[in-house]
Amino acid sequence: MVPCIEARSLTLTFTPKNRDPVTALQGFDLQVSKGEFLSLVGPSGCGKSTFLNVLLGLLKPDSGELSLNGKQIDGPGQERAMVFQEFGLLPWRTVLANVELGLELKGVAPSIRHERALDLIKLVGLERFQNHYPHELSGGMKQRVGLARALATEPEVLLMDEPFAALDAQTRDLMQTELLQIWERTKKTVLFVTHSIEEAAYLSDRVVIMTARPGRMKNVFKIDLPRPRDYEMRLTPEFNDIKAKIWNTLKDELSGKAAGNGI
Amino acid sequence: MESRARGEMNTLASFYREREQAILGGGFILLLILIWQIVPALISLPRGIALFFTTPVEVIKSFYQLVVRNEIQSHVYTSAVEFVVGLGLAIVVGLPLGLVMGRSKILDAMLDPFVTAFNATPRLVFLPLLILWLGIGIWSKIMIVFVGALFPLLINTYEGVKNVDRVLVNVVRSFGASEWQTMKVVVLPNSVPYIVAGLRLAIGRALLGVVVGEFFGASRGLGFMIAGAATNYKVDVVFVGVTIFMGLSLALTHLVKRLEARLSRWRPDEVKTF
Amino acid sequence: MNSAERRRAMAFKRFYAEYQRLILGMVSVVGMMLLWELAFTYVIPLNPFFFTKPSLIAEAFKQQIVSGSLWHDVAISSKAFLLGFGLAVVVGIPIGVFMGWRRRAEYTLDPFLTALYASPLVALAPLLIIIFGVGLTGKVALIFLLSVFPFIFNVFAGVKCTDRLLVNVVRSFGGREKDIYFKVILPSIMPYIVAGARIAIGRGIVGILVTEFYAASEGIGFAISRFGDTYRLPDMFAAIMVLMIVAVGLTEGLRKLETLVAPWKVGQEAR
Repeated sequence: MVPCIEARSLTLTFTPKNRDPVTALQGFDLQVSKGEFLSLVGPSGCGKSTFLNVLLGLLKPDSGELSLNGKQIDGPGQERAMVFQEFGLLPWRTVLANVELGLELKGVAPSIRHERALDLIKLVGLERFQNHYPHELSGGMKQRVGLARALATEPEVLLMDEPFAALDAQTRDLMQTELLQIWERTKKTVLFVTHSIEEAAYLSDRVVIMTARPGRMKNVFKIDLPRPRDYEMRLTPEFNDIKAKIWNTLKDELSGKAAGNGI
Repeated sequence: MESRARGEMNTLASFYREREQAILGGGFILLLILIWQIVPALISLPRGIALFFTTPVEVIKSFYQLVVRNEIQSHVYTSAVEFVVGLGLAIVVGLPLGLVMGRSKILDAMLDPFVTAFNATPRLVFLPLLILWLGIGIWSKIMIVFVGALFPLLINTYEGVKNVDRVLVNVVRSFGASEWQTMKVVVLPNSVPYIVAGLRLAIGRALLGVVVGEFFGASRGLGFMIAGAATNYKVDVVFVGVTIFMGLSLALTHLVKRLEARLSRWRPDEVKTF
Repeated sequence: MNSAERRRAMAFKRFYAEYQRLILGMVSVVGMMLLWELAFTYVIPLNPFFFTKPSLIAEAFKQQIVSGSLWHDVAISSKAFLLGFGLAVVVGIPIGVFMGWRRRAEYTLDPFLTALYASPLVALAPLLIIIFGVGLTGKVALIFLLSVFPFIFNVFAGVKCTDRLLVNVVRSFGGREKDIYFKVILPSIMPYIVAGARIAIGRGIVGILVTEFYAASEGIGFAISRFGDTYRLPDMFAAIMVLMIVAVGLTEGLRKLETLVAPWKVGQEAR
């Protein structure tokens, strides 16, 4: 099976002013299959968000290869879109105008992008709010706008950087289920970064555990739970087994941190 | 040999990187002054412009002359007195008034239209009136300085008092504090950064008041000196005056900014006033 | 009190509570005017060379409107103001954006411009008048010099405050430099531009007044100083009030505009 995304030996070091350089990724390898839902879990600062930004094309790795469907990634492109943790909605635009942003930047005609945006706004259930402004929306609603915007350009790969971290627990659970429903319908390849083991296990086909900084793949877990998944699955003993296994792998990375990496 | 040269280049590069800000900024200013100085040497100025042109060196020479001949000292003294007295009055009136307005909603509502109206209007508009009332002696200038500096102080003190955290006031009250004690323990310390920011603004306005007041109705003072020099085409003297004001303004503002930074250390960064 | 009376009392109380601030303000202003008028009519003898009272001011005001001199003066001053102010907008905003977006530009220009902004540039007024003469050019030059800096620095602050996340969002969808300027930076700085305009208006009016007090033959500033010279106090007060009304109107209008332009921002005061 040809991997959709292939990362080989990615290395990236940040050199901030007046501080020591930070190696975020070191020899990072990863393969993602088409249509797969993959989660990246790891301790804080392990480079998961960095990897996502490299995939998105906003950051350039120092060395290593990164390809999408065989082609090298060289900057942002239409096949990849991101949903951001802090939403990133333009506050002076309505929901509709925000969702249209990607299409607008690509020069799609107004009437076409209107229609497309409306379809997606309906998909995420915000039809009544199309003319509202972000500051009038709740966190969950804002993130749905973010999701609609990302899907508007019909990317192949959806990158999600802790998208539900800024939401309260109940909204988070709701959004997770909604995300799965939307994913089933649109069949995108999803790369999902999170701190929550439960969230990763619930949503994904595979969960990748990363080491503490500098980040490398430590372990991969295949989640064999049947789809479509529902909330009740989280209460089953099988699910708890999976969680326990992931936690055990992750635990070492976290305690290694406590011993002296100083975050 | 080569590695040593490279080593030197590296230290030069890192020296530049660390001080880039100062080098670029200071360098630019020096460059402008330099260009100003050599312009008449490079192009021959037409008669009309040559009349108004002066160079930094001439300005410095002029300054030296004025000091040596004791011509400038009395002007500086007069302007200084106007500035200090006017500003002092503004502080003495503005701070207590701002405190009281901040704490009393009724007084605030009653004075607000006046404060808004007078704050939006350049105080300069009252200069002819003040000259009519107080003549061209020192008092009309002091009053213009006072009126100019009053409002930033008043308004900032008021804002500082109003913005005090209700929770903190309740905490102190719950320990049985009186209004006066609440002021002392919570309201005043909270307002200090605002007041100092107001002081910074007030200093700028006060200087402005001195300058403009002395243009129009004075017999002494640096502004008077500038106006007189301009009429006599003594552009170098004009720049002496302008530079002195500029220097004073920068020095005082800088001092107050440092004071502000010291006193604002506990505040979260977003809430700093311009 | 029967129930109808009680209901009316309650309604009045509620009305008062909501509009308390406005009511007290108006009471205060009207009260002051009344006090002023009554004091000088019945209590203190009015020395016409020194003071005046509201009724006389109102009369002078009416005269000025009827004779057209008021409009004429305001028009002259406005022309210079709009030219100088407009120039400040057109020059100041791009400089502010440039400084805010490119760090090297900030390092180079900031110290110089800050020094200028902090100095009383009005001190150059006599020089400008001597150079440019008493006409429009000198006025416009001074007004420009005085009002350009709030725009530069406010826009500069606004650009630096731009949410970097939004820039990344636009970049991630393939937006280029032009898109970043027009779709993120410009909308982001609108509230800062309006705030800058609010501050610049005051400084611009100072420019008008200084040039017209110093050497002019027309304009509202000149009118005020001429009335003073000829001891026409009611006219002088009337002219001063006209200026105050214009200044307050513009400033408060811009304040309202600020909240319209940026409903998502929590107001930060910089009076």
